[in-house]
Amino acid sequence: MEAKIQVGQCSICFHLSADAVCDICRSPNRDNQTLCVVADSRDVIALEKTREYKGKYHVLGGLISPMDGIGPEQLNISPLVHRVNKESIQEVIMAISPSIEGDTTTLYVGQLLKPFAKVTRIAFGLPMGGDLEYADEVTLARALEGRRELE
Amino acid sequence: MYLKTLHLRQFRNYQNQLVTFHAPKTILVGDNAQGKSNLLEAVELLATLRSHRTSRDRDLIQEGAPIGQISAALQRELGLRNLTLTLRNGSRRTVALNGEKLKRQLDFLGTLNAVQFSCLDLELVRGGPGERRVWVDTLLTQLEPLYVHILQQYTLALRQRNALLRQQSSDPNQRLKSFDPAQLAIWDAQLATLGSRVIRRRARVLNRLTPIAQTWHKAISNRSELLEIHYTPNVPMEADDPGVVQTAFLEKIQQRATAEYHQRTTLVGPHRDDITFNINQTPARQYGSQGQQRTLVLALKLAELKLMESVAGEPPLLLLDDVLAELDLNRQNQLLEAIQDRFQTLITTTHLGAFDAQWIKSSQILSVQAGQIGEDTST
Repeated sequence: MEAKIQVGQCSICFHLSADAVCDICRSPNRDNQTLCVVADSRDVIALEKTREYKGKYHVLGGLISPMDGIGPEQLNISPLVHRVNKESIQEVIMAISPSIEGDTTTLYVGQLLKPFAKVTRIAFGLPMGGDLEYADEVTLARALEGRRELE
Repeated sequence: MYLKTLHLRQFRNYQNQLVTFHAPKTILVGDNAQGKSNLLEAVELLATLRSHRTSRDRDLIQEGAPIGQISAALQRELGLRNLTLTLRNGSRRTVALNGEKLKRQLDFLGTLNAVQFSCLDLELVRGGPGERRVWVDTLLTQLEPLYVHILQQYTLALRQRNALLRQQSSDPNQRLKSFDPAQLAIWDAQLATLGSRVIRRRARVLNRLTPIAQTWHKAISNRSELLEIHYTPNVPMEADDPGVVQTAFLEKIQQRATAEYHQRTTLVGPHRDDITFNINQTPARQYGSQGQQRTLVLALKLAELKLMESVAGEPPLLLLDDVLAELDLNRQNQLLEAIQDRFQTLITTTHLGAFDAQWIKSSQILSVQAGQIGEDTST
């Protein structure tokens, strides 16, 4: 929490950053047409570790949860809509946990962005190296729900 | 399945008690408030991870103790299972199967199956719709453990939607400004998706249970009465199809929008479901006699037993809490015939007088006194 106050946020993507604009947003090597929307800075760090994603990010700073008094206004949603609208972004990837609040946030943000860009969401399923028979039922059910035709 | 041992540590009024079961029927005798029902509650917790008496873990832990523990050795056809439930005062409970801690409590369910039948079960017929929802939900918990997750998700979406409805209309002047139809529409969709899963599973389990209950009911009432069980969901269910139920759900939300706006709470969904029991086409809740209601509950419990047996592939345990004395000899015999020696049965009673001699002969009798259990030597 203390680090958060000292470090501050990137004014574009709201990721933790010591400077006004973070390294990722400044980088000339990244794909400017793809945006990955996450709930928290920790998610950016996790995705960056994979070194597979070359686009940019947008951190919402939480999830919609009326019980906790968090609505769309409390999150960085309007700057996101503005960004997608202005920066000619082709694809927005929603990378938010599949909880009730996560799904609601994904659907809400997705609807706002659909007029401007292609909106996709990450898949949820079995962990790599995990055996089907040891997967828990909730994950299996979710994986079944998101099944795809064999290419 | 056969429960071989039950070990209670700092659970309710038990300090440290190991019970070994060595007959298919066990009768626990003792005065009131000695701990008979607590023992059955421990088995209920292992079967469903909930107690019908309390929802707070600290009520389950012996007074003054930081943790309480229930462990059991259960013989199943495929081998011996050790179940452990650890309750903590002030933090989350944990479950372990064969000594291995489980990450998800859901995975614990379905190992031990039990049907509980207590004198409170008459409320199932007489009481409000909530009693019947709890009953069907508890049954589903054991038959389809995933249902626990589905119901939790639905309840969470419901609470979130209620919170949003409350925020929106607190101040008449602020209403329009703070009203966010887009967000409400998404909660509507979430509620409909999750709610339709609850509705369809409840409908399916009642469809499977009804013919079994009808057969039992006919037998107990000497073919004089016909039982009907009707699921009456708050959202009409025209077909067992997710799309159809969700559409009906959303339509009903639209219809009740004004009422919801004023009452500031969700008025549509399976949290307002009911189940109707009819005997000879007359609602048993309002018009059934005491005897009829008892017959009905007994038929339902026997049906649960059989349904659980067919799903689990093994006979479940039967827990009879202070209920036998309430049944007349005819119904006692019906029950005895139904369970024979196939279903392991734990019975609590204050006195052995009301029992058929047959029952006592073939049972292990334990006496319960102030949280101590011992083999009864007086009989």
